[in-house]
Amino acid sequence: MATIQKGKTITLRGSAQIVVEFFNYGINSILFQRGLYPPEDFRMVKKYGLNLLLTSDDGVQAYLKAILSQLDKWIVAKKISRLVMVISSKDTREVLERWSFDIQLEQSDDRKENFCETKKSKTEKEINSQIAAVMRQITASVSFLPMLEDPCTFNILAYTDKDAEVPAEWIDSDARLITKNAEQVKLRSFSTSVHKVDALVAYRLGDD
Amino acid sequence: MPPPSISKDLQTGLNPMSPQIARRVRETMETPRRKSTAGRIAGTPTRSFADRLHVHGRTPTRPSAGGASPSVAHTRSPRSYNATGLGHSPRSSVISGRNAENFIKQRLGVAAVSPSGGGKRGKAKERMYDRFVPSQDAIDRASSQFNIRDTTDRQKLKTLDPDTLAYQEQVAKACGVALDKRILAFNAEPPAAQRQDFRTSWSRPLRKPNSTVAARRVKSEPEKVLDAPGLSDDFYLNLIDWSANNMLAIALDNTVYLWNGNTGKTAPLCSVTREDTYVASLQWAPDGSHLAVGLSEGDIEIWSLESLKKMRTMRGRASRVGVLAWDTNVLSSGARDGSIWNHDVRLANHRVASLLSHESDVCGLKWRPDGQFLASGGNDNQVVIWDARSSLPKFTKAEHTAAVKALAWCPWQLNTLATGGGSHDRTVHFWNVSTTGKIASVDTGSQVTSILWSLEYKEFFTSHGFPNNHLSIWKYPSLTKIGDLEGHDARVLHTALSPDGQTVATGASDENLKFWKIWEAKKKGGKCGKSVGEKDVEDELVNAYRRMAIR
Repeated sequence: MATIQKGKTITLRGSAQIVVEFFNYGINSILFQRGLYPPEDFRMVKKYGLNLLLTSDDGVQAYLKAILSQLDKWIVAKKISRLVMVISSKDTREVLERWSFDIQLEQSDDRKENFCETKKSKTEKEINSQIAAVMRQITASVSFLPMLEDPCTFNILAYTDKDAEVPAEWIDSDARLITKNAEQVKLRSFSTSVHKVDALVAYRLGDD
Repeated sequence: MPPPSISKDLQTGLNPMSPQIARRVRETMETPRRKSTAGRIAGTPTRSFADRLHVHGRTPTRPSAGGASPSVAHTRSPRSYNATGLGHSPRSSVISGRNAENFIKQRLGVAAVSPSGGGKRGKAKERMYDRFVPSQDAIDRASSQFNIRDTTDRQKLKTLDPDTLAYQEQVAKACGVALDKRILAFNAEPPAAQRQDFRTSWSRPLRKPNSTVAARRVKSEPEKVLDAPGLSDDFYLNLIDWSANNMLAIALDNTVYLWNGNTGKTAPLCSVTREDTYVASLQWAPDGSHLAVGLSEGDIEIWSLESLKKMRTMRGRASRVGVLAWDTNVLSSGARDGSIWNHDVRLANHRVASLLSHESDVCGLKWRPDGQFLASGGNDNQVVIWDARSSLPKFTKAEHTAAVKALAWCPWQLNTLATGGGSHDRTVHFWNVSTTGKIASVDTGSQVTSILWSLEYKEFFTSHGFPNNHLSIWKYPSLTKIGDLEGHDARVLHTALSPDGQTVATGASDENLKFWKIWEAKKKGGKCGKSVGEKDVEDELVNAYRRMAIR
């Protein structure tokens, strides 16, 4: 977050960086909390005043990096409106959980275009505490989410504008909604005064 | 004239379509369409779509200059176009299923919508274009629709004018369908977890527990074996002791032999010449200069190591002295009649105290290293703790169910006493002398004949008689067994620890004296250096004094 300096407002680019960083830690937390990868693969880091876990598996790291770098481009280009992490059963491909993060631009689309002057810009500290609250909720959500019985895998969906640049690794997809017995819980949101990110988790209730 | 296609109806007549349905239709249209187009128009499906786009005057959305490769843009734009063309796909009603179909029927009043009628069926199957459609029912509908499309739609599509497109967009807007959005998925599969079944380990701590120190290895063979002919097979005697200056004394019948641990030589010290008298106990004074020898008829002799001569005989007892214990100048003796006497070896009137509590043979007697307490064990199954200042018992423990010969004070926890019971008991109890409470117990499985604490390790050693005649090494306070040593054929009655604390000598009734190196000293580098350092300090002090004197 080198772009945030004291007394200065947060630029779009800086905000994008914050949001991408949040997604990095968020996705890693979910991977750990939901047991998609074994706990040995994670190392603890201090961030947002919390102990968070990042994967130390090279393959997963590279995979997430590819996604997040593209996400950064989309955010800077203002082409993305939502990022969804879909957790599905490895065998049946059935969607079991859907972590959805809405990304909204808070600044009104002034023709100035050059990202400055928000009326009430936030300090880094405020943002971090808000993000920490979301992270805590992600960790705490394990308590009400149903156990993932089968081996699971995950996918990342991006809701972009139609005219967004799309690299070859990204393909059109359906929304991969949870088909039956879905329940959803809204989590906290945070705002960088440029972007507002709302978090929501949808999950499939047990059959009984 | 074939019946009008459903999609057409959707476009024209579906103004009040609810957003829900619209979304549903849209979402169901996303992925399968590619397949269908590819299958239907053999050859270059994307081209033809792109052509159509041009015909309709809608330039396909391309990425801005310098963006993704043109090929990507080309293959993508028709698809996005298709997404806008609400219901152009023959599958629109197929996938959305019966609900949507019924809904459309009701709303539009299209009675003859069902195209799967009569003779078309065979033809439809013949021209089936999508093997991924799961249900037969759906295939019918889809192919029939395709038939309709095939004959009529090509022209129709071409004649679609910008007005219709604009109208479509308006409808979409009204329905709340965001046509300018697309959902993208990162195509690559995430790397699989290395281990499949990791759910069981969720609750495990992240940090691995410290790897346990490898179990200590103890040599299972004795270092040295000596013959000990005539070593008496009597549980109530104590016939081996190892002095501070590395002399081992052993009594064989009526003779005491000394084995020099430095040179390995053996020499007799003394012999009892009287008939029917034998050596019942022996004990080195703490400094190793004198040996006390208790005889079967009650006398106690003090022998000097230096001169190898008897210094003194302390008389007065009438029964066998089975056990002796030194505390600097005071020698305590336990006798068969159950009495314990304290002799001050410096006084002519040597008896300074008699401790009377045991009702039978006293066979275990140990002073605490600091001389505050004396522990005694007897054939009456009792353990008695005596305060050095009193001739009344401090407390008595009667938990053993057999004679208590094995007694040992813990060298690093002064208030801990270990006591082991005989063949009926087979347990070792640990007592806290300060609180008089029991700390722990362990069942050894065999008669306990002696206990020795290690000086360096947090361990203790027990020797056993019936039934296993083995030696055991234990950890304290965990009381886990490190190992058993099998070496004697008969019960091990007498044990002694070498002055350096490394070797244990065991004498058994199989007339063998064996030496076991069970507590090998840990390697220490500092000892030599320390003395050198001390010397340096001394030299410096001397120099300093000299300088001061000169001034």
